Amino acid sequence: MVLFPVTGHLSRPFAASGRSTLAALGSVGRAWALFAGSLRAIGELRVWGPMLLPQMARVGVASVPIALFIATFTGIVMSLQASYTLTGAIPHYFVGTLVGKTMIMELGPALTGLTLAGRVGANISAELGTMRVTEQVDALETLAYNPLAYLVVPRVLAGLVMFPFVVLLAIAMGIASGWLTALELLDMSSAEFIKGLRLFFAPWDVWFAVIKSVSFGAVVTGVGCFCGLQTEQGAEGVGKSATRTVVISSMLILCLDAFWAATLL
Amino acid sequence: MSIQLDELRKSFDGKEVLRGFTLTVEDGETSAIVGPSGCGKSVLLKHLVGLLRPDGGTVFVDGQSVPELRKKELVRLRRRIGYVFQFAALFDSMTISANIAMGLRRLPGWDRKRIASRVEECLALVDLNGLGERYPAQLSGGQRKRAGLARAIAASPKYLLYDEPTTGLDPVTTSVIDRLILRMRDELGVTALVVTHDMTSAFRVADRITLLHEGRARFTGAPAEVRTADDDVLRGFVDGDPALYYGVQGGQDDGA
Amino acid sequence: MERRREIWVGAVVMFGIAVGVVGTMWLKGGWGSDQVALRTASTSVGQLVAGASVKFRGVAVGRVESVTVVPTGEAVMVEMTVRPDLAIPADAAVVVAPESFFGDWQAEITTREEYSSLTFYEHAEDGVLAGAALPDFSRLTATADEIARRLKVMSDRFEIAFTEETAMNLRHLIDNLGVISDDLTTMISQQAARFDELAVGVTESAREFTAAARVARTTMEKMDGILTDANVGTMLGDAGESMANLKTLTGDMRAAMTELRTAAQQGSATMTRLETLLASAESGEGLLGRLLGDPELADGATAAVANLNQLLADIKENPTRYLSFSIF
Repeated sequence: MVLFPVTGHLSRPFAASGRSTLAALGSVGRAWALFAGSLRAIGELRVWGPMLLPQMARVGVASVPIALFIATFTGIVMSLQASYTLTGAIPHYFVGTLVGKTMIMELGPALTGLTLAGRVGANISAELGTMRVTEQVDALETLAYNPLAYLVVPRVLAGLVMFPFVVLLAIAMGIASGWLTALELLDMSSAEFIKGLRLFFAPWDVWFAVIKSVSFGAVVTGVGCFCGLQTEQGAEGVGKSATRTVVISSMLILCLDAFWAATLL
Repeated sequence: MSIQLDELRKSFDGKEVLRGFTLTVEDGETSAIVGPSGCGKSVLLKHLVGLLRPDGGTVFVDGQSVPELRKKELVRLRRRIGYVFQFAALFDSMTISANIAMGLRRLPGWDRKRIASRVEECLALVDLNGLGERYPAQLSGGQRKRAGLARAIAASPKYLLYDEPTTGLDPVTTSVIDRLILRMRDELGVTALVVTHDMTSAFRVADRITLLHEGRARFTGAPAEVRTADDDVLRGFVDGDPALYYGVQGGQDDGA
Repeated sequence: MERRREIWVGAVVMFGIAVGVVGTMWLKGGWGSDQVALRTASTSVGQLVAGASVKFRGVAVGRVESVTVVPTGEAVMVEMTVRPDLAIPADAAVVVAPESFFGDWQAEITTREEYSSLTFYEHAEDGVLAGAALPDFSRLTATADEIARRLKVMSDRFEIAFTEETAMNLRHLIDNLGVISDDLTTMISQQAARFDELAVGVTESAREFTAAARVARTTMEKMDGILTDANVGTMLGDAGESMANLKTLTGDMRAAMTELRTAAQQGSATMTRLETLLASAESGEGLLGRLLGDPELADGATAAVANLNQLLADIKENPTRYLSFSIF
């Protein structure tokens, strides 16, 4: 009080901003601890090894239908909107270029990432949150398991490995649906669409998509694990964690998206 | 002198839960810590297995200072301790058998066959024969607690920590659990620490009872001594008399 | 349970890899191994980049793999891969030209005969095909723009009272128009080898234009007698200067679209005014009417103007038609 002579209700904004700053720094610190701990836990192959396959099935295989669904409609919309935009002077085959390029480089990875932030991230967060509040995480520790090795590592690895495949399938689906739309609704020929598709295609685009989706996989599962393990106070806390997971991982996905675009292109 | 707590302090968000708690549990003894809900009993137990770090004071289990243990040593110590959680904390994605086998899989030299036979043994010990293939959600509360107990004893621990083993159970099931606790002591010779707010249960299972009050050990003694002691707070808690229990601090109800 | 999971995970992984690899190969437009390499060198390659298509008699037969400047700096080396079954003619040469209006260029395998008007670059190394690049379309559009601008100047001068000086300027202008149209004709005939259909239309217009300009010049020569101080030498010098200006005209391909529209608009506005003026001149009104009283000149000019007007209007209305012809 001597050093900071503002008292009473005047001090409240300062206290509030100070508190939230400290809380934010605390979160960063805990996230770092989780990351470092998980890196160390990768050594415990015998603990996470058997858990990897079920997680890959859950993160990867189970996400394929929703990813394909989203991609299908994205492809249709892209195709229709491209033809709507490219009226007049620009040739029709540019619809193929637009659908292909945007599906591969942006919409495939980003939309799948955002969808899976909801589907996979919230799921992981709710699961680990429930385990946390029902003391199952503590139980793991008392049974001499490292929860990071048993819970976090297999989930994040599954995300890293499976996301690119889900995204590749989604991209293929999106292009296929865009193609079909062009054929059926836009009176384009396959040859025209393919011409446009190939026009500005570079194999690097596919790598770009793969790199992006690997990072999105890590973000979605990592944030899910982090928020899940931070859960406090029962069922309400589990709900909050799931929401936080979706919000944080969506934001991180978009930031990463911009980051990759800035660094890799 | 197998479990020894000295001047243990712990606070959460500025709220002091333990304010210098001292307790000694001898080898082969079953000791009960009683106190109202939310007074810090579970917090106490978590210090013994290193799930929480104390703010001050010392925690010795099996002659080792728990907060100072390195990760590997802590893992080794945890294998000697069985922890029975309040709501069993069974892994609900696994069958009961798989739950019980979890701890065993981490032990060197345990093959599938040996684990399976040990799981059967543990199920028999807690009278859950034949329920091994069920999932936790398919069991009743009492069965779940017994399954949790079976998981805790699977690796033949030297110490057993019970966190509210009888909370939420009907009187009959409570006495079943109590009998199991005694059986563990008599048949397996474990040193046990039971945390409970159920005085009936405490009188039945404990060799010694400690009242945790305002973060400190208010009273320690054999069940017979507890019945006859004239400490007001203890009387108030044992007889369920708020006037006596809170009377000392002027009827305030600040929980912990 | 475990087995089914394994199968599913395996299926997604395998299928994902298959889609990624096959899709990439397919979009790249080749399966790698069975392609043959081909090289050509040219002094310039326009906007040709790696990935552009290689064509033979209009059929896509391969892709450009790389475009690099040779160490000596005097030419550009283009490496291509083409279908192995392609029968390349003995005197094969490569012409680099725009594929469409949108900045995508192509390399066309052809013979020197077909493009006899072009100068091919010969690389010393064996197995490197001779190459040449066609001018960019943006130069054509710039020319069209220039014509429109000059027509506007012409109509402006008609509006000024017709003096001796004006007559001189008019003569000068018509001379320039002749030069422009000649230039345009040359350019179009170069492109014509590849874009026959459109070229017919454009060349036709250009020829009309030339004819009109010639008629106008004849008339002016008659007028020359009337004009006492006319200095033919100066006029010819001015014409040369205009020609030089025209030659420096180049533009950005992408901006050309807008340029073309503006030019077409300007052109048509000018045409309208010009038509009105010519109509009044035809009816023999005023000094201008009398001067231009020669029916041959009036008819020729009107026809040329109408023709150009039609072409400009068409370009403005249906740019796609010219696009699909890959000219504008």
